[in-house]
Amino acid sequence: MFNEMYQSESVIRNHYNNINDWLDQMTSKVILEKNAEAETHFRNIGITFSTNNETARERIIPFDLIPRIFTYTEWLRLERGVIQRAKALNAFLADIYNQGEIIKANIIPKEIIYKKKSFEPSMFGFSPPRDIYSPIIGIDLVRTGPNDYFVLEDNCRTPSGVSYMLENREIMMRMFPELFHNNRVTPIDDYPTRLLQTLMSLAPIKCENPEPVCVLLTPGPLNSAYYEHSFLSDQMGIEMVESTDLFVEGKYLYMKTVDGPKRVDVVYRRIDDDFLDPLCFNPQSVIGIPGIMDVYRTGGVNICSAPGAGIADDKAIYIYVPEMIKFYLGEQPILDNVETWNCEKEQELKYVLDNINELVVKEVDGSGGYGMLIGPKSSKSSIDEFKTKLSTNPKGYIAQPLLDLSFSPTLIKNQVEGRRVDLRPFCLIGEQAQLSSGGLTRVAMNEGSFVVNSSQGGGVKDTWVLAE
Amino acid sequence: MLSRTAEYLYWISRYMERAETTARLLDVGYRMSLFPNPSGYNNEWESVLSAAGVIEGYKNKYNTIEQKNVEDYLFFDESNPSSVYNCILNARSNALVVRTSFTPESWLAINKTYQEILNLKEQQFTKSDLPDLTEWTIEQVNLFRGSLSSLLRNDGYNFLFLGLFIERADNSARLLDVKYFVLLPKPQYVGGNIDNMQWSILLRSLSSFRAFRWAYDGNITATKIADFLVLNNNCPRSLSFCIQNIVKHLTNLICSPEKVGRIYNNLKDLNSKIQEEKIETIVEYGLHQFVTQFIRKISSVDKEIHKEFFN
Repeated sequence: MFNEMYQSESVIRNHYNNINDWLDQMTSKVILEKNAEAETHFRNIGITFSTNNETARERIIPFDLIPRIFTYTEWLRLERGVIQRAKALNAFLADIYNQGEIIKANIIPKEIIYKKKSFEPSMFGFSPPRDIYSPIIGIDLVRTGPNDYFVLEDNCRTPSGVSYMLENREIMMRMFPELFHNNRVTPIDDYPTRLLQTLMSLAPIKCENPEPVCVLLTPGPLNSAYYEHSFLSDQMGIEMVESTDLFVEGKYLYMKTVDGPKRVDVVYRRIDDDFLDPLCFNPQSVIGIPGIMDVYRTGGVNICSAPGAGIADDKAIYIYVPEMIKFYLGEQPILDNVETWNCEKEQELKYVLDNINELVVKEVDGSGGYGMLIGPKSSKSSIDEFKTKLSTNPKGYIAQPLLDLSFSPTLIKNQVEGRRVDLRPFCLIGEQAQLSSGGLTRVAMNEGSFVVNSSQGGGVKDTWVLAE
Repeated sequence: MLSRTAEYLYWISRYMERAETTARLLDVGYRMSLFPNPSGYNNEWESVLSAAGVIEGYKNKYNTIEQKNVEDYLFFDESNPSSVYNCILNARSNALVVRTSFTPESWLAINKTYQEILNLKEQQFTKSDLPDLTEWTIEQVNLFRGSLSSLLRNDGYNFLFLGLFIERADNSARLLDVKYFVLLPKPQYVGGNIDNMQWSILLRSLSSFRAFRWAYDGNITATKIADFLVLNNNCPRSLSFCIQNIVKHLTNLICSPEKVGRIYNNLKDLNSKIQEEKIETIVEYGLHQFVTQFIRKISSVDKEIHKEFFN
């Protein structure tokens, strides 16, 4: 068991000393006040979300006051590891939509790529600007020891959570300015600027504008990440559009403005492939921009991330990422994968069924902490239920060992207690590859819980990277 | 600026303005209910409902006009599109979409108002709370308007203010339409108690009661009040002031001069007429007809703005 703050019961890790002193002098009254202040702040700015079981009032994610801290050296390794992974994932996409070398080299079987729903046949033979398919990648990491990090999953489509990363920092600086005087915390507030630079560096070939016009495409206010969409477009100073604001004419994409049509060069889309273009993907879709794929393929606009980028974060492809790193970059993976059993394979399924009490079973297409089984924590009846599911639909599941996620000190009813955390840093790839100097730390607020998802009672923390 | 953004901005300030108007009308009704009146106060509540333009909706829901019901209908009722509650909900859901097009303070002003009205609605309110509620509403709207002062003076700003003045022009004119008869010359009752009371209703509901006293010397007369509410360019709720500001914010728009030109052409007759006319002439010609025409014109300008800019 690894604790982020305590080296042993009585020894505090050096980089947590200041926080420990700060915690010591905080009274319960101050904690209560600051918690209330944070909640009011998050409600006022509207950083709320909705869950699958919708209630009338919008919910906010519990915010824990104690930051999670990385030293400069720790972060350096994560940074190299995440960037390496993000580069390999993009190289993989460029490869499978063109020559397919990794298939010819018998590293990844072609069935698991070309049969996947997230594979997009219309992308065959097309290369997006700079061969970047997925310019914004969120990598979910967990820590189990001083130098042991594991990648749980890659998010290559439209990873969300970066607004929490930024807002958590804002509220911490506002409530506890003295903490930032006493600790050298690397700032993160340049993330939106870097995101915009990344998008602008990915202008399509037919764009003559030295400052390409970028927009953020949102499904609308009902989407659970809507706050993030408006937050990011605001911070970047670009329009947040819905698909009805866009239309195709000739070989270009335009938005409807009060002065008439205005050409759009780069679309940072936060909607799924299926809803991009009813002519190309889902003819039933009432949302979408008819013809946008034609404009895209003829270099009139860039769509970020590229349609079909989702294949790279498929849970079945995940298994092969370390191989990809070796194959495309000729490097050894810096970050480890979690050992994963693919239930589609008969032998692995057998292993999973025999050892299900020790394993975590996940739906291949699941997310948000729904539809998963944590073997060691589950009742016999839910284990039996999953056994049946596995036997009838083995393709739909993977299994992993239960990792001993690190503990981070967390305020629970005014007491400091250890709770498990994960981390999602955000990697940007355009003209250059870079990692946010921090990320989103999610914390499982319930005692003993391994599930950090906000839909399952997870909270968030500010994440610090100390300057050198 | 996106057409949709312009449209949402325009409607945000319409909703906020309407919330204030509804609150003021409620305040007037409440005040009148405290005064002895031989004909009973029910008539006042009825004219409050007519001025708010929701009398039909109210009568569909309730059989009798009672203070408690009117208050609830105008403030909290979800089925009344002009209730303060709905105005704030609508303004907020529009603001959610275009929050990037105005300042964080404007968003905060609207979102805090929204959070608070959800709480208010959950609490049971009693009669004595009404002045608090109306005062709160006016305060919130002022907070929002104040936040606009730090806005870039771009087209978004002009669309916000176009919305505000279109709504205000319509609200002021409809109130005059409901109450025009108290401004008609009736020699036998001039200065009588009933007139005084009616005039005060009219002025208070347009938040102009004290302003009128500052603007005009001597006796209160129907003609002076009519002049104040229709033609006086210093009165921020007069029809003339609203038209002037609609013209100002319309012609300040930088986008699409042709579209601006087309709408301006439709407006300019009314504008010059209202700037040159004498109140005596209007009263003689028929205050009622004048106001009715005005309402029709404002509604056609609103339609044109939608057609030219928001489609």
